[in-house]
Amino acid sequence: MTSIRIENLTRTFGAVRAVDDISLVIEHGELFTLLGPSGCGKTTLLRMIAGFVDVESGSISFNDQRIDRLPAHRRDTGMVFQNYAIFPNHTVAENVAYGLKARKVPLAEIQSRVDKALERVRLEGYGPRSPHQLSGGQLQRVAIARALVIEPAVLLFDEPLSNLDAQLRTEMRIEVRQLQQALGLTAIYVTHDQEEALAISDRIAVLRHGKIEQVDTPERIYRMPQTAFVAEFLGSTNMVPGIARAFDGRDTHVAAAGTEFTVRGEIARPGASVLLSVRPEALRLGDGSGGALVQARLALREFLGPMQRLHATLPDGTQIRISALGGQVFDGSPGAPLALSYDPAQITAFPAS
Amino acid sequence: MKRFATIVTLAALVLLAVFLLYPLALVLDASIRIDGTGGLTFANYATIVKSRYYLGSIGNSLLAAALATALACAISIPLAFCLARIDVPGRALLLTLATLPLVLPSFVSAYALVLFFGHAGVVTTALRGIGIPIGSIYGLPGIVIVFTLTLYPYVVMPVLAGFQAVDASMEEAARNLGGSQPYVIRTVLLPIVMPAILAGGLLVFVEALENFGVPAVLAEDRPFLAVDIFKLFAGESDANPAAAGALSVLLIACTALTLLVQRHYLGKRRFSTSARSAPAKLPLTPGLRLVAAIMSWGIVIVSLLPFTAVLMVSVLRFRGPVLTWELGLVNYATLLSGSYRPLLNTLTLASIAAVATMLIGAPIGYVVARHRTRLSGLLDFVGMVPFAVSGTILAIGLIIAFNSGPLILTGGWLILVIAYVVRKLPFAIRSSSAIVHQLDPSLEEASINLGVSPIRTFATLTVPLMASGLVGGLVLVWITAASELSATIVLYASGWVTTTVVMYHAIEGTGAGLAAAAAAVLILVTAIPLLLVNRRISKQETTVI
Repeated sequence: MTSIRIENLTRTFGAVRAVDDISLVIEHGELFTLLGPSGCGKTTLLRMIAGFVDVESGSISFNDQRIDRLPAHRRDTGMVFQNYAIFPNHTVAENVAYGLKARKVPLAEIQSRVDKALERVRLEGYGPRSPHQLSGGQLQRVAIARALVIEPAVLLFDEPLSNLDAQLRTEMRIEVRQLQQALGLTAIYVTHDQEEALAISDRIAVLRHGKIEQVDTPERIYRMPQTAFVAEFLGSTNMVPGIARAFDGRDTHVAAAGTEFTVRGEIARPGASVLLSVRPEALRLGDGSGGALVQARLALREFLGPMQRLHATLPDGTQIRISALGGQVFDGSPGAPLALSYDPAQITAFPAS
Repeated sequence: MKRFATIVTLAALVLLAVFLLYPLALVLDASIRIDGTGGLTFANYATIVKSRYYLGSIGNSLLAAALATALACAISIPLAFCLARIDVPGRALLLTLATLPLVLPSFVSAYALVLFFGHAGVVTTALRGIGIPIGSIYGLPGIVIVFTLTLYPYVVMPVLAGFQAVDASMEEAARNLGGSQPYVIRTVLLPIVMPAILAGGLLVFVEALENFGVPAVLAEDRPFLAVDIFKLFAGESDANPAAAGALSVLLIACTALTLLVQRHYLGKRRFSTSARSAPAKLPLTPGLRLVAAIMSWGIVIVSLLPFTAVLMVSVLRFRGPVLTWELGLVNYATLLSGSYRPLLNTLTLASIAAVATMLIGAPIGYVVARHRTRLSGLLDFVGMVPFAVSGTILAIGLIIAFNSGPLILTGGWLILVIAYVVRKLPFAIRSSSAIVHQLDPSLEEASINLGVSPIRTFATLTVPLMASGLVGGLVLVWITAASELSATIVLYASGWVTTTVVMYHAIEGTGAGLAAAAAAVLILVTAIPLLLVNRRISKQETTVI
C-alpha cells in the first residue's frame, strides 16, 4: 500500500536541468508511466526514486515518509533494468533469492517464495539453470521475478522491454501489466515507446527537457493533448500551421495550407496564429457522410496489410498522412484528387509559438 | 557508494604520496643541493651539461631507445598485419609466443648475446678459430638488438588489435569506391592503426630509456643513463648522489614527456571502430603465404632464441669463462650449493608483492573506472606516475626517504616489496579498471536495489566477477617482480639477495656457469606460470597497453 509524493524535485548535471522542478502524486496500486524522448529526464527521475541519483532539491515520499535521504539499499524498491542486470555468477534461483537473503528471510521461506515467484513469471523449473542458458525474454522474466519476490513498496521499470524484439515486447507488456495488477503494487514505468505507454498505463506523464508537459490517462493524453509536443509525440500526427478566422458560434474556421479547416469551439481570436493537430486516422476518404471536407491530391500510397497509409498534398503543397483501413477499396494513382472528410471535434488546436 | 569511493581514493593517495611522491621529491631535492653542505645550487645540472661523459650518456640512451623504437615498429607492423590478415600456419601458437619476450627478463636475453657473441662467446671464438674476425656487439649494436627483440610485443599487440578492429565493410566500401588493395591499405588501414603504432612505439621508447639490466650487461665502457645513475649513487669509488639525482630528474623528464605526448595524442585520435565482422584473410598465392609465414615465425623465433639458448647452455660445463660441450648440472649445483636463499627470496618477495599489488590496485582500478570525480582523476594520474619512473630512481628515492627518520626500512625485505608494489601498481590499476569497464554497472545497482550495501556489494558481487581477470594480473605482477633487477640491485641487503642479484654479480665477475644457471632459473620461474594462465594474460596485456 504505497503512494508516492514527489515535490519540486530538481537535479542538474552541469548546465543541463535533467529534472526541473517536478511535482507528482502517484496513487497506490497505480501503474504510472514516465514517457518522453531520450534526454527528457525520465530515467534520471526514476533513478532519483531508486536512490542512484542524488536529489538536489525537493523531496520524495512513500506514504508521507520522506525517503530521499535514505541510501539506495534501504529504500525498498524493486527495480527492473533495461539490460536485465542478472548476476552472471549466480543461478536463476540464486538471482531471485538475492534480495530475500539481504533481508535475512529464513532459508525455508526463501525456497518457497523463489519457487512461487518463478511460477508467476512462467519459469517454473528454471531455478538451477545458469543465466547464460536463458534467452533475452526469459532473462527479463527472471529480473521481474527478482524484483517482485521481495514484495517491494514500489516497483520501478527502466525501459524493461526495449532490448526485446517487437513481438516479444507486446507479449511481455501484457504480462507485466497483469502481474502488477494481480499483486496490487504501485509501479513506475519508464519508456520512450508511446504505444507501450498507452497500452499498459493507468496514467502517463509526458516529459520534455526535465519538465512535465501533461499528466493524464492514456485516452485523454492521446485525444486531448494539452501541448503541441504531446500531440506530436503520441502518434504521428499532421501538424498544420494556420490563421484563425471567425468563430461561428460552434466552430472556428482556420485558414491553413491554402484551404480551410473547421475546428470545434472557439480556439483563438480571429487573426491569431494556431497550430492544428490532424491525426491521420481522423481523416476519411470522402464518402460524403457529412462533416467537414478538405481537398487534397494523392502523392503516394503505402499498402501496409491491415491498413493503407496515403501521403497527400494540400493545395499549398503541405504534406499530410491519412490512415485508411486496408479493407476499404481504394486504388487511386498519384495525382488523383481526394476529398477528405473529418469531424471538427477530432482536430486539436494549439497557439503557435 | 560515495563514501566507499572516497575512502579508497584517500587511502590510495596517502600510500602513493608516502612511497612514491615523497621519495621522488627527495631525489629532486638531492639534485639541487650542494653535496655535503646542503645549500641550494644548480651546479649539479651545470656539471652534467659541461661534461662530455654525461652528455654522451644521455645521447647514447636516447639514441638506443630511438633506434630500438624504430626497429621494433619496423618488424612489428608487418608481423601484426600477418597475424591479423594472413592465414599463417600455427597462428594461435605464434600469438602466444609473440607475447613472451615482454615478460621474460630482458637482461637474460642480453646475457645470451654475450655468451654467444661476447669477447669469449661461443660464436666469436669459433669464428676467430677459423680466421674470421667479428665486430663487437658491446655498446649500441647489442643493446639496440636486445631492446628490439624484447620490447617489440608492445607494438605488435595494439597494432594487431587495431588491424582486427577495422570492420570488413569499411575496407569493402573503399574497394567498392574504386580503391586498389595497396591504395586501401595506405589510405584506410594505416591511418586507423596509426594511433596504435604510436602508442606501442612510445612505450618501447620509455621502457628502453628506463631499462637498467640490458645496458648493465652490454654497455661495457660506453656511458648509459640508467647505469650511470646507479653507479653514481651506489658506486664504491665515485659516488655522487647529487649528480645521480640530477641525471634521474633528466631521465624522468624524458620519460614523462614521452608518456604525456602519447596520452595527449591518443586522447584526440582514438578511432573507435567497433568491428561487427572481422576483415577476411587476404587471398594469397602459396608463395607469398610462405614468405609471410617465414617472416612471422622468423621474428618470433629469433626473439626467443636467446632464452632457449641460455636454457641449453645452463646444462653444459664451463671451464673458466669458456664453454665446453660436456653435459652436466654443475652450474645448478654451484648456484644452489651456496644457498637456497636467493631462490627462496625471489619466490617469497614476488608472491608478497603480487598479492599486495592486486589488493591495493583492484579497489583503485574500480574507483577510477566507476566514480569519476576530481579526486579519483588525480588518483588515476598519480597511479600512472610509476610508468615514468625507472626502478633505479624509485629505489634511490626510497633509500633517501627511509634510511633515517621515523620510518627506517632500508636493509629489510619490506622496502623491496614496496618498490615492487609501487612499480607494478599502474599495471594492476589498468588491468582491474579494464575489467570493471566490462562489467555492467547495473549489476551493482541491482544488488544495491535489492538491499545489499555498496561495500558488501563490492566484496560479494564485484570482486568475484572481477576474479578471473585479477588472477591474470596477479600472475603477471608475480612474474615481473620475480625478474626485477633495476630496483632490487639498489635496495637488496645481505639477507635478501635474489636470483637476479646473483646473476648480475655472476656476470660482473667470472661466474659464467653460475650466471647461466641463474638465468635459466629465472626463465623457468617466469615462463611456467605464464604458460599456465596464458589465455587470460594475453587478453590482459592488450587491455593494459
